[in-house]
Amino acid sequence: MGWSLVCPAVVILLLMTIAPTIYLLQSSFFSFTLLNPELKRFVGLQNFVQVILDPTIRHGILVTLLFVVLAVGIELIAGLILAVALAPRSLGNTIGSTVLLLPFAVTPVVSALIWRQLLNPNYGWVDYYLQRLGIIGRPIEWLSSAPTAWVAIVGLDVWQWTPFVALILMAGLQGIPKEPQEAAAVDGANAWQTFWHVTLPQLRPFIALAVLLRLVEAFKTFGTVQILTGGGPGRATELINLTLYRIGLQDFQIGAAAALGILFLILLSIIVSQLLQVLGKNTELLE
Amino acid sequence: MPDIDSKRMPLKVAGRLVVWGSIVAALVPLIFMLITSIKPTGDAQTIPPKWVFVPTLEHYEAVFGGQTSSSQAFLPLLWHSAIVAMCSTALTILVGLPAAYALARVRFKGRHFLATWILSTIMFPPIVAAIPVFIIAGQLQLIDTYPILIIPYTAFNLPLVVWLLRSFIAQIPAEIEDAARVDGCSRIGVLRKIILPLVVPGLAAGATLSLILCWNEFLFALTLTRSDVKTAPVGINEFTGMFGTQWGNLTAASTAIVAPILVMTLVLRRRLISGLTLGAVK
Amino acid sequence: MQRRDFLRLVACATGTAVFGGTLSSRGAKAAATKPQKLNLLYATAEADSEAVKLVLPDFASKLGIKLNLETFPYAALQQKVFAELASSSAFYDIMVVDTPWMPALTNKIEPLSSYLKNPQLNDITDPEIKDFIPAVFYDAAVFNPKKSHLHFPDSNAPVDVAEIEKQGFEIYGLPLQANVLTLAYRKDLFEDPQEQQAFQSKYGKPLSVPETWDDFVPVAEFFTRPDKRLYGTTLMAGSGDWAVDDFKTLVACWGADGHLITDDFKMSFASPEGVAALTFYSDLINKQKVTPPGVTSFSWDDVADTFNSGLTAMAMNYHDMKLNSGVKGEVAYAMVPKKVASGPHFGTWILSVNKFSKNKEWAYRAVAWLTGAEAQTKMLEKQLHPSRASVYKEAAANSSLQKDFANFYDVLGKSLAVGVGRARLSNYFDVSKVIAVAVNNAATGSQKPQAALDAALPQVKEMLKQAGYTVADN
Repeated sequence: MGWSLVCPAVVILLLMTIAPTIYLLQSSFFSFTLLNPELKRFVGLQNFVQVILDPTIRHGILVTLLFVVLAVGIELIAGLILAVALAPRSLGNTIGSTVLLLPFAVTPVVSALIWRQLLNPNYGWVDYYLQRLGIIGRPIEWLSSAPTAWVAIVGLDVWQWTPFVALILMAGLQGIPKEPQEAAAVDGANAWQTFWHVTLPQLRPFIALAVLLRLVEAFKTFGTVQILTGGGPGRATELINLTLYRIGLQDFQIGAAAALGILFLILLSIIVSQLLQVLGKNTELLE
Repeated sequence: MPDIDSKRMPLKVAGRLVVWGSIVAALVPLIFMLITSIKPTGDAQTIPPKWVFVPTLEHYEAVFGGQTSSSQAFLPLLWHSAIVAMCSTALTILVGLPAAYALARVRFKGRHFLATWILSTIMFPPIVAAIPVFIIAGQLQLIDTYPILIIPYTAFNLPLVVWLLRSFIAQIPAEIEDAARVDGCSRIGVLRKIILPLVVPGLAAGATLSLILCWNEFLFALTLTRSDVKTAPVGINEFTGMFGTQWGNLTAASTAIVAPILVMTLVLRRRLISGLTLGAVK
Repeated sequence: MQRRDFLRLVACATGTAVFGGTLSSRGAKAAATKPQKLNLLYATAEADSEAVKLVLPDFASKLGIKLNLETFPYAALQQKVFAELASSSAFYDIMVVDTPWMPALTNKIEPLSSYLKNPQLNDITDPEIKDFIPAVFYDAAVFNPKKSHLHFPDSNAPVDVAEIEKQGFEIYGLPLQANVLTLAYRKDLFEDPQEQQAFQSKYGKPLSVPETWDDFVPVAEFFTRPDKRLYGTTLMAGSGDWAVDDFKTLVACWGADGHLITDDFKMSFASPEGVAALTFYSDLINKQKVTPPGVTSFSWDDVADTFNSGLTAMAMNYHDMKLNSGVKGEVAYAMVPKKVASGPHFGTWILSVNKFSKNKEWAYRAVAWLTGAEAQTKMLEKQLHPSRASVYKEAAANSSLQKDFANFYDVLGKSLAVGVGRARLSNYFDVSKVIAVAVNNAATGSQKPQAALDAALPQVKEMLKQAGYTVADN
């Protein structure tokens, strides 16, 4: 019975994952570019070895991990605050939650370009108004030094994806039964206590869900960072997906790209399964 | 209960200020987008930024009238995006809700594994998945058709929607269902009459997210379409390039994209909420 | 249905299929039928699609075929071209190809030398192959199918199909939009009497557009006035291929091979001249400080934006510049300064015939017409960068062009003749990124030029080996 209900979903997912998986698994053992298949040679595990030994890729993994932790962490806190504020049904909140969606609704390419323009040291609003307000003396070259470039990419991600987290948490808040909160209020608990001891535990599965979903998506960040910094300055913001794009879709070295993709997948699976264990123990995410 | 409200009031007000303050701050890029879309081209990049200017609709006219340097008018692209997004979202919900119910409620063998496997499918980096999909789609003569976008998008969003709804359904006390079953309701009936109304917030959220993610997907749209089904993000990308960004056209086009997305999500949420809570039995 | 009937049906169907198959193969031996339309995959702004759009009606009337134009900006176009060719798709009959993509694509593009020699196929347009600027033609269209990393030995000889074939090379398309690095400058500033006087008194020589890099520095310093929002020049020092293009231009000027990696895999970018060139580049930004803020994250479009907004007195870019409406000034052009040699970076878009196209002969005719002298002359109206010497003569005689674009075409033509292209690597973008990171690190000051290039050298060698090239270990 259960299987018949999940069947359609499974079929669609299988459709989209079986062929690419087989293709990639197979390609990763060869060295070739799609454009010269005659030069295809079997290289066994050589692609994997090269990827693991490549310091650029190791650096990319670290960069990606740091980015994900920072971005998702901030998005979680901001999303929670916004969700709590906007969950109760009211006209103001309906408007607020619709406005909240706007950053998320803008095409990522466009938001990256707009951010780049806003951060332009010569013409951007940010540096101009910061100087006018006397906060800074000279314009900040945001994308030219690593720390500020990081602020830019994390900031852009937070701006764009906090609505995602907030939306999930808001739905959770709207779905949980209200009786426990009312009971706590009757018992004399103030707003903060009610929130911390009653609402938050109820919300835990949704927090876990939001973190999980956002984390996995964050690992796949590509377009916005590519446009905003291109991986620069130097390789300071070169997420693993930027490297993957260059190898796979600019040089079309499918073997190397497949190996990197598979290793990336393995790494992500390890991280997610650890996360699921931790979350599963503390919340009712898996039961 | 007036006593409790007055205790909560100052906290509430302060909280509201912070929240609305940050929402307004977050609107700055969008204000930039809107303003630039009605600025004459020469005013787009100036120091100090020009706030007083003669608004013009020339960029919107150019974008919709097809007079930009891109190869297609923009309106059909919006239409393609809308169709793909709506179909994919409908399919995702249609297929995802029963799956979520099964994973949450039905105790069948392998459901844990299945739930984890479903999640694992979104860990695939789309960059490497695009090429084999393109090759196979080419062999099947499906390039530049609606299904070639709808199916992958559904696959991308299913794990999200399934897991979201699963958490919702898991929250519903089992007793309600059991009572309905005792009254002679079938599983599907339970799904329709009991579960559905109670997961409405989750449905609304999931559908909204799915809609937006479909609208903004770029990589697969670029690889798998040519001109028949080209979507809006691909079209917008044409206003960028090595020779400079066409700011007027770019911002006009993206404002044009954001509007239908907002309308769609608003309609969706209100419909869902009103339509499904009618006759809900709590 | 009875089994017998079913078998009969199958037999009939098979028979029909075989018969139809023989018929169609016979038909293919006859002259290729003229298609109703051809599909052209093109670049939006980078290859000047407006120019192509301009001649579409003429195309239709001359060839009797509708040309279906689809355009994409650079990154998206590259993906599209590669994806379509990698999957052997026949959809796009003609594609525009940028020079660095070609080494990887030689197996999927139809070689054209046999077409060029076939008089039947050159009935509508005479390709006039000797009219193409040799340096441009050889860099963009002539590749060795077996050893795709080699450049044609004599890149200044007039184009000759027989000679090309004799040397083991092939022609993979015909060039259309030829881009080369040129210097744009604010004519109004350079000709302003007050500026000239001030410069004369400060430096003891007249203010003129710099012809050497040594002359460049004082001029740039002179025009650097941050409090007046004016800087000497802008550069594309961001971490990407564009920085490599800036760098290789300087490497050529300092006397080393401007391809950065020679055909026999000598790493000229890490030579003493390379280090000197990078030091000069980094000094412009960090020592003499003649560049505006943010230059170390600039790419192509930023250079254009910055100069057009009036922020700098000079700029080096690959197309004509147009000052924003709020900026009062005049633009003129000059060749990029030199040192011991001249070697501005160049790259050209060529029109190639898809090997899998079902209309190759007509696609070739289309390519020949579009790159022909007549079409290119008309496309000048939309600022095409021509690839034919005769068209440059036309441009020189065209007074309205002179009025609108000053001496751009004159400088363009002269620069193309001495341009230096890229190394031909199948993993070009990976290698380019390594060098770009080195250039960017030197530009931001986070690494000294020598150290940056020393760090890049082993990485580049390793990548080349992984791509299958034989590289000496010294």
